[in-house]
Amino acid sequence: MRHSFLDQYSHLDSPVHWRDPRVKFLLSLLFIIAIIVTPAGSWLAFAAYFGILVAVLAISKLPLGYVLKRSMIILPFVLLLGMVNVFTRPGIELSSLNIFGWHLGITDGGLAFIGTLLARSWLSVLALIVLTSTTSLPALLKGIERLGAPKVIVMILSFMYRYLFLLMDEVLRMKNARDSRSVGSPSTGFQAKTVGSMIGSLFVRSYERGERVYAAMAARGFDGRSRTLDNMALNTVDVVTGIALALLMLLPLAWSLIR
Amino acid sequence: MHIPDGFLNVPTLAATGAVSAGTVGLAVKVAAKKIGEKQVPLMGMLAAFIFAAQMLNFPVAGGTSGHLIGAALCAILIGPWAGVIIMSAVLIAQALIFQDGGLASLGANILNMGIIAVFGSYLIYRLVTKILPDTRRGKLIGGAAAGWTSVMFSALAAAFELAASGASPFAVVGPAMLGVHALIGAGEGLITVLVVSAVMASRADVLQMERI
Repeated sequence: MRHSFLDQYSHLDSPVHWRDPRVKFLLSLLFIIAIIVTPAGSWLAFAAYFGILVAVLAISKLPLGYVLKRSMIILPFVLLLGMVNVFTRPGIELSSLNIFGWHLGITDGGLAFIGTLLARSWLSVLALIVLTSTTSLPALLKGIERLGAPKVIVMILSFMYRYLFLLMDEVLRMKNARDSRSVGSPSTGFQAKTVGSMIGSLFVRSYERGERVYAAMAARGFDGRSRTLDNMALNTVDVVTGIALALLMLLPLAWSLIR
Repeated sequence: MHIPDGFLNVPTLAATGAVSAGTVGLAVKVAAKKIGEKQVPLMGMLAAFIFAAQMLNFPVAGGTSGHLIGAALCAILIGPWAGVIIMSAVLIAQALIFQDGGLASLGANILNMGIIAVFGSYLIYRLVTKILPDTRRGKLIGGAAAGWTSVMFSALAAAFELAASGASPFAVVGPAMLGVHALIGAGEGLITVLVVSAVMASRADVLQMERI
């Protein structure tokens, strides 16, 4: 296997990693909802959320560069949608551009809008990165299942996680084979055709592997349920940190709503 | 097209979340009735397949590259209800593993790319293959139309959700999303056709099976 980019920092050893996945999932969800509900332009509240995140990040020992790089994934979307709004939102005109006689006014309302958008989406994506980088996917899935997610979906996800590496290896082998047979720079049409038949044979291989896996599992007594020995249990620290962090997150929200 | 957190407002999140949760719940019931326990390993494998297939990108004009979304392909190859489940699993994993799309906006993303795209493209596929003669060519044209419309439908739905959240007026975001995605959809249609034809060549029986 030549890929290790799935939950690659989930095996670090830190107090954030030790917490129960259910607590971490619920806190992340609460955090994101609090950010969304916080009114636009509540900069102090957004700064407080950022402070909470930085504290958790510092405890978690996650490499800062990795987290920052990861979080940039939302930038294109924010800029695409934000640019239009800078010029169209009502407000006091701060500055204006004249492009070929086309008047574009930058308003304070527009800037507040894009700032809020950026703050909200960046804080949310950071929270999600902290959650998934400090929890291994199997543990996270188990936590979600305990919180009431449909069993079938969770099982499909855990199968997917298990076989993803295998299929990715398959894809990398196919890519190698294709690249070693393509000389020069083939036309886009030809490349699309190659990719099409590669995906076609990948589908057939996955489908047949799925059939074989099911046959092997049925032969061993699979009845549609998975049984594990792992009894997830909340300890006192989980409960206390969960409640404390939840209250801490609600403080900036309450403040921004009352103001 | 994955909408991150922070773009949609609370009413839109609640509405899309409720519709998605209901539809996925229904899909789980329908699929369980039709194939029972056998669904789990096979669907997990197919979800991993969609994930791995998305890694195979090919160059498109202007230095960008296109890759498969897979909603139309799922609908054509194994049926819409199974397609909804598989696409939902893929979207959940993309949000959790790659932060592609947010956690609170998961409902909206599943609605756009997992439900509207799957059912919309399946409808188009059935319509086209019913009108055209039942030949290889008819199925391929159906596949192309399904691939293209799956992308357009989900782009339109995303534009509606963004407009309803007050992120941008529909007059701006609607044409922009549809314009960009008309091109992306062409790539999706092309790949869908090529995959369907490759499956026809090696495992034609898969296409003749009852879809879920």
